[in-house]
Amino acid sequence: MTKEKRLSITIDNRNVEVRPGLTILQAARENNVFIPSLCTLEPLPSYGACRLCVVEVDGLRGFPTSCTTPVEDGMVIRTDTAEIKSLRQEVLKLLLSEHPASCLFCTEQNECKQFQGTIRKVGVTTGCRYCPNDNRCELQQVTEKIGLTETSYPVYYRGFPVEKYDPFYDRDYNLCILCGRCVRVCNNVRLNGTLSFKQRGKLTTIGPAFERSHLEAGCEFCGACVTVCPTGALSTKVSKWYGKPDNQVSTTCSYCSVGCQILLQTKNNEVLDALPDYESPVDHGLICVKGRFAIPEYVHSALRLSSPQRLTPVGYEDISWEQAITEAAEKLSGIKPEDCLVMVSPQLTNEDLFVTQQFVRQVMGSENIGSSMMSDLGNSLQMFMDLVLHTDFFDVIEKAEGVFTIGFDSTYGYSPIGISVKKAAQKGTTLITLDSVDSNLDMLSETVFKIEPSRWADFLDLFLDYSPKRSSEKRLADLVSLWGDDIERVNKLFLKSSSNVVIVGPKLIGATDAQGVMEKLIKMRDTFSWKVIVAHPYTNLAGMLAMGAFPGIKPGELLSDGDSRSPLTVQTNLSPLDLKKRRKVVYLIGEAPFDVIPECDYLIYQNGLPAESSRQPDLILPASLFTESGGTMMSVEGRVLPIQKAVEPYMNSKPDWWIMSNIAEKMNKGKMKYKDVSSIQGEIRKHIKGFPNIKKRLAFSKINVKGTGAVQVKSREGIFTQDSYRGIPLAEVVMGMKAIEERVQSISCSDKEAQ
Amino acid sequence: MSETIEAVLTQYSRKSDDLIPILQGVQKEFGYVSLESVKKISRYLRITENQIYGVSSFYAQFRFDPPGRHSIKACLGTACHVRGGATLLEMLERGLGISCGETTPDKRFDLERVACLGCCALSPVVQIDKNIYSRMTVTKLTELLKEYE
Repeated sequence: MTKEKRLSITIDNRNVEVRPGLTILQAARENNVFIPSLCTLEPLPSYGACRLCVVEVDGLRGFPTSCTTPVEDGMVIRTDTAEIKSLRQEVLKLLLSEHPASCLFCTEQNECKQFQGTIRKVGVTTGCRYCPNDNRCELQQVTEKIGLTETSYPVYYRGFPVEKYDPFYDRDYNLCILCGRCVRVCNNVRLNGTLSFKQRGKLTTIGPAFERSHLEAGCEFCGACVTVCPTGALSTKVSKWYGKPDNQVSTTCSYCSVGCQILLQTKNNEVLDALPDYESPVDHGLICVKGRFAIPEYVHSALRLSSPQRLTPVGYEDISWEQAITEAAEKLSGIKPEDCLVMVSPQLTNEDLFVTQQFVRQVMGSENIGSSMMSDLGNSLQMFMDLVLHTDFFDVIEKAEGVFTIGFDSTYGYSPIGISVKKAAQKGTTLITLDSVDSNLDMLSETVFKIEPSRWADFLDLFLDYSPKRSSEKRLADLVSLWGDDIERVNKLFLKSSSNVVIVGPKLIGATDAQGVMEKLIKMRDTFSWKVIVAHPYTNLAGMLAMGAFPGIKPGELLSDGDSRSPLTVQTNLSPLDLKKRRKVVYLIGEAPFDVIPECDYLIYQNGLPAESSRQPDLILPASLFTESGGTMMSVEGRVLPIQKAVEPYMNSKPDWWIMSNIAEKMNKGKMKYKDVSSIQGEIRKHIKGFPNIKKRLAFSKINVKGTGAVQVKSREGIFTQDSYRGIPLAEVVMGMKAIEERVQSISCSDKEAQ
Repeated sequence: MSETIEAVLTQYSRKSDDLIPILQGVQKEFGYVSLESVKKISRYLRITENQIYGVSSFYAQFRFDPPGRHSIKACLGTACHVRGGATLLEMLERGLGISCGETTPDKRFDLERVACLGCCALSPVVQIDKNIYSRMTVTKLTELLKEYE
């Protein structure tokens, strides 16, 4: 490797060497020289809007903006002369002529900082609160650094009403300084294009077209604009007036199988906000609305279960943990293994799932460990698991020549996958979409196939083996006449390319004839070597299977040694589980599938929030949620990702593993006395080498199942438009998610009418 | 309407460089840029409706609601301004109950201010549709408006 040529420059009389290709601003920041700027936004190209980063360069006329001037060898740069200072102050004054300045200049500022003594009409503990962004505002910091203490221009206050009608964040464009960060992040990072500059000159505002609300204009509510805003113009509704957070904890979002890394902002033992982690290799900071906005409201919901409860003839009575565990142990003791059914959510951590399977196998002596997922998928369960466990890495999307999405929409979920698809399509990858309603990827799609889910299997059949003659087959005749030409054209494009990717969305799960579609997907993967990516809502399904929290699968049994994601065939004895048979005790762990669980004498409900159901559990055990207890999860890509404890468990709630191991201890059965998460991880290490510090992505063997898997109890079609966590739909708990859900429903209704 | 939009669109390439010519074509055909046509352009050029609106609202030449039956352009160029153009504009704004750039609720008139119509010797000048009216006064203008229904 040849040594990279370094450029030698002088910044403020200091000689430094920098890489070529940097701007003066980047070079200065790398060398700890402060230059103020309000519009730069890494990694986007420079924009030069705020004009605060002006510097002096020998030989260059005037005062160039450092963010748009590349460094050259031998440059002599001055960033802090008196002239520049006064120029910056002038620029800032102009900028502030549209921005209320009460939070920036105050005669009591110094005293206030020192003694928190405030003017008389304001509470001493709260201080003045002019703006939700007070104390975490970039404009405030820059004003202080530039040393501006007053503004001499008259304030041109724009008098816009604060826009509060959209979910999740409020917009006060009176505070906007038109730096353009939100517009750029929306268009160039999220590739969404909801925000744009409207009008021009002093009439410029930011927003979507035609005065529509953000919801109508196709906003994803990813919150990227709120994250990058340097002022208080955009603010999260839930945590608007909470002030600066005390602490930040990096964790993994537990709402779906992508495993986005998020930074939880906490204060006073409460989660205030969740920010994207732009350094994350999983999602590159491209989190969706659920991870960005739906966490604080869910985990601090007023509905949270606060104490163990027992059903009595006159209603529920609060009891102590000691009583609750004794009662559960009594009911679970002395019953035959087949009389107990444990239902566990795939949205729990690996550690919780491992303890659950230990509990079922060692304490109850059975294999009756179910999940509502079994009834969602019915006969297609085995094929679904096969597809999920051999889902390819997301980075194949951008390398692909052809991408085919089926029932996939990344507006309100799975956005790292959706954005990769958009990026690929913009670079020239052929994209085709198959769905029954409009998808957010349609705009970039070469051909949009709008077909009912019940016909997807037939469509794929035709697509994979197209010939106009197939119109003679009765079931395909209408598809050939409607879509024949399109299929022929795109088929040629896909046949030419050797790297195709097919992405299936969660709609597949609720689709009629999902089994037929999955059969075709497996054929695409195994025969035509397409890469398959499954975007599914069962967060830790991969972990559930790795931990063996599944009938007939032992811990670690499904993991193959290699790190290849291609399927290896291993026979396992996956046994079907009867969800209809009457049981003595049904124990729900993080699940609320009241419509599919069988009749029973005694029902234990262990979860964070109560479920809406006419069936009353006999015993309620409050469990802590993923922000309150540590652990790991396994994403659909096979990465083992850490879930960190950010706050203490809510009131009297306890982690799932704690509850189970205490019940087991009380029953004097099983070797599962755990003090903490790391002791469980030690036990898991006996089955999975190196757990949980596994850098490579885990590979799974192929599952071959005898029999048909679980029995489908009830058709739950349509349920997967709803996102839920631990069996409780997010829309029931989080207000903004309800608005989004209503919007999704109304679109699909109007779409059906249009057809 | 949607068929005519398609006809306009097919005259142009599907590159985003053609956005402004397309918008001009649409405005020429329909008199304004409607939400419906923005939707069609969005699919055609593969850029979002909001981005199209951002571009088109930057230029004064594009309008987003149906135009009135007659358009009044009051000149406020230097010569017209000196000879009382501003009074004429104020009278129009008061009389019609709208401000510059708006359309009367009965869709009878559009009101616009222009910088110069190029006939300063005739100032102050008002243009209604394609007719230029010279040496205008408030009284003359009031009478004149009655001719346009």
